[in-house]
Amino acid sequence: MYDTVIIGGGPAAVAAGVYAARKQMKTVFVADQIGGQSVVSDGIANWIGDVLIPGAELAGNLKKHLMEYKDDITIAVPEKAQSITRNDDDSFLIKTNKNEYHSKTVIITTGGRHRKIGVPGEDLYNGKGVAYCATCDAPFFRDKDVAVIGGGNSGLESVVDLLPYARKVYLLARRDELRGDPITQKTIFDSPKVEIIYKSNTTKIIGKTMVTGLQYENLDTKESHDLEVQGVFVEIGSVPNSDFVQDLVTCNERGEIVVDHRTFATSQRGVFAAGDVTDELYKQNNIAAGDAIKALLSAYQYVQKAA
Amino acid sequence: MANVTVYSTPSCGYCKMEKEFLAEKGVDFVEIDVAADQEAAAQMVEKTGQMGVPVTIVALDNGTEEILVGFDQERLVELLNLA
Repeated sequence: MYDTVIIGGGPAAVAAGVYAARKQMKTVFVADQIGGQSVVSDGIANWIGDVLIPGAELAGNLKKHLMEYKDDITIAVPEKAQSITRNDDDSFLIKTNKNEYHSKTVIITTGGRHRKIGVPGEDLYNGKGVAYCATCDAPFFRDKDVAVIGGGNSGLESVVDLLPYARKVYLLARRDELRGDPITQKTIFDSPKVEIIYKSNTTKIIGKTMVTGLQYENLDTKESHDLEVQGVFVEIGSVPNSDFVQDLVTCNERGEIVVDHRTFATSQRGVFAAGDVTDELYKQNNIAAGDAIKALLSAYQYVQKAA
Repeated sequence: MANVTVYSTPSCGYCKMEKEFLAEKGVDFVEIDVAADQEAAAQMVEKTGQMGVPVTIVALDNGTEEILVGFDQERLVELLNLA
């Protein structure tokens, strides 16, 4: 019987893991990979303590910190949690693709994944022009015309990643203004390569073996327009990875796990959650880590009281 | 003995993770930077029919080849008999 099972591999999960180890809780850490969504981020300027750190390096640091405790906790990576059920004795049964664990508490820190637009052509051309990671794939679009869909920070940052390579970058935003940081907006406004198309809704991605273009609708005039591009980067936010626990804990209409913002308890006694998978207002690395520590300390108290 | 080639770009986080993983496990591999080498990039795209990195080509003893798109730690462990 474990004291806790931590599910996820990003900053929230690692924070919980380090604290669990140091509290000498009998712990299993279940994740696909250690690092989280930041792995694909170019440079992170707001991870407190680091002026500017590449995402891959942040991921590496998180992994290193967790591995410091590899003799104290069970690190089950790569492994995928599939279901969590409550046992008669109030403990939980966590099933993964490789194992089964019994634990007094569970900490869900599974984060989020890329939201898809959900239009024809998106899946068909995934990897063939449709991409979700500009830091990874920008070099393939050297001298080509590309489109980035999304007017928030990830969209803006993708445009910036593409500028050194692409011939032209179209930025399609649904609103009549961009939502990302003013600093990044300025870089984009100043670039002659960028054309911003406001109030646009992408309706279709077109191609032959690879992407040749997209179709979008102007949200005011309802007119349809065609854009000839060889790359489409989708950066329209994220979807919480809560599918596997929707029957276990209460989630809101966005699928985010509803938590008590003092204790990070979910609607299921003994199950705690933190980070992007929850209804926390602000999806940030620093916040995910901080909240996960609260979740872990709550789990610790829970185990102590039950003892 | 298998032969491992990894196509990657310098800024790609998953590529870095895979390369670190292979190095950690003592696997020798050839690294091809498709951001710098456009010919290799075109070859990779033709071979795999897609543009994502990392792409790992594992050439096995029996003459067959397996192509992995993305960092597939589990499959690498299986193919290369890693602990």
